[in-house]
Amino acid sequence: MTTPSITIQTLAPDNVQFVMSGVDLALANSVRRIMQAEIPTVAIDLVEIERNSSVIPDEFLAHRLGLVPLHSEDIDRRLQYTRDCDCEQYCDKCAIVLDLHARCTDDSTMNVTSDMLVSSNASGEFGTPLPGILLAKLRREQEIRLRCIAKKGVAKEHAKFAPVSAVGFEYDPHNSLKHTEYWYEEDAAAEWPLSRNAGWEEPQEYDYNREPEKFYFDIETVGQIPCNEVMRQSITYLQQKLAVVVQELAER
Amino acid sequence: MNAPERYELILVPEGVSKLTVTPDAKLPNCVTIKFEKEDHTLGNLLRAQLLKDSRVLFAAYRVEHPLDHSFILRIQTIDGIEPKDAVSEACRTILIQLDQLKQRFDSEWELKKISGEGMMY
Repeated sequence: MTTPSITIQTLAPDNVQFVMSGVDLALANSVRRIMQAEIPTVAIDLVEIERNSSVIPDEFLAHRLGLVPLHSEDIDRRLQYTRDCDCEQYCDKCAIVLDLHARCTDDSTMNVTSDMLVSSNASGEFGTPLPGILLAKLRREQEIRLRCIAKKGVAKEHAKFAPVSAVGFEYDPHNSLKHTEYWYEEDAAAEWPLSRNAGWEEPQEYDYNREPEKFYFDIETVGQIPCNEVMRQSITYLQQKLAVVVQELAER
Repeated sequence: MNAPERYELILVPEGVSKLTVTPDAKLPNCVTIKFEKEDHTLGNLLRAQLLKDSRVLFAAYRVEHPLDHSFILRIQTIDGIEPKDAVSEACRTILIQLDQLKQRFDSEWELKKISGEGMMY
């Protein structure tokens, strides 16, 4: 069993590109799947609308509010799933309450943005929205008054909980393993551009028994969780799944 | 009207167990395990790892229906090892690998952060 290894290529506040080697395709793919679908974040799940005289219908506004990313770093220690909490409905331990009161008082168009969401029970940065996201525009006398209940969830439940916008995943940029066949008109090599990762590997002679070994990841996060945390947590949650399997098997 | 609840992808309902082990009626050392509320993320991973074990004669998984949110894993081992134990061992091996992966990522990250002060960060 070769030891896994990681080499980071580039780093940015919301993006990390790295090469994972010493693992097999199934493991790399499972890590990618967890990253996209099973990392919990906080997102607005219920919206109680008191007043909405804007041109945006209630459900449209509620949908947009649900998609607003909320800071979710360290979520496992800070928030429980509402279904696991022993309160009725929701409480401080399983939900974050955000209020939005916006009223246009002058003649210019008022932009209602995500930074206007005010939390009543957030601690520090956790649960606060990423600023600058446009939710609605108001004309004179139009008003929005609502209360949002944000809960913990995973992207399997609803895509709004996804901490990543896209995960680039590639292996064998030169197709030395012949896992794919390129469609071509005259010359495949001339017609297909080289991948960005092609520089990191040499084309190899075809070997029937060779397995994919180097995987190029390009993780772009939304902003709720920093990108190194996304990677760490995907490994952690995969480990939790396996631990559950081991435990259940021991009981049977 | 027919939309399933969101949590049906994740929550195992009351009275249903996460894993159900059924011995195969005809072959020795052969077992079918049904995993509830799990998908290819676990299935493919376990299958691939089991196939690496030389004591495993047969290992395959199948998602019976995409709307059912479960999969079955069929394992046959040689005499001397229980299929269940082969799965447990496979899980432990993967857990160790993942630990190593996490450590490597952490150290690489720290390195890059310290040395890459001039980078986009």
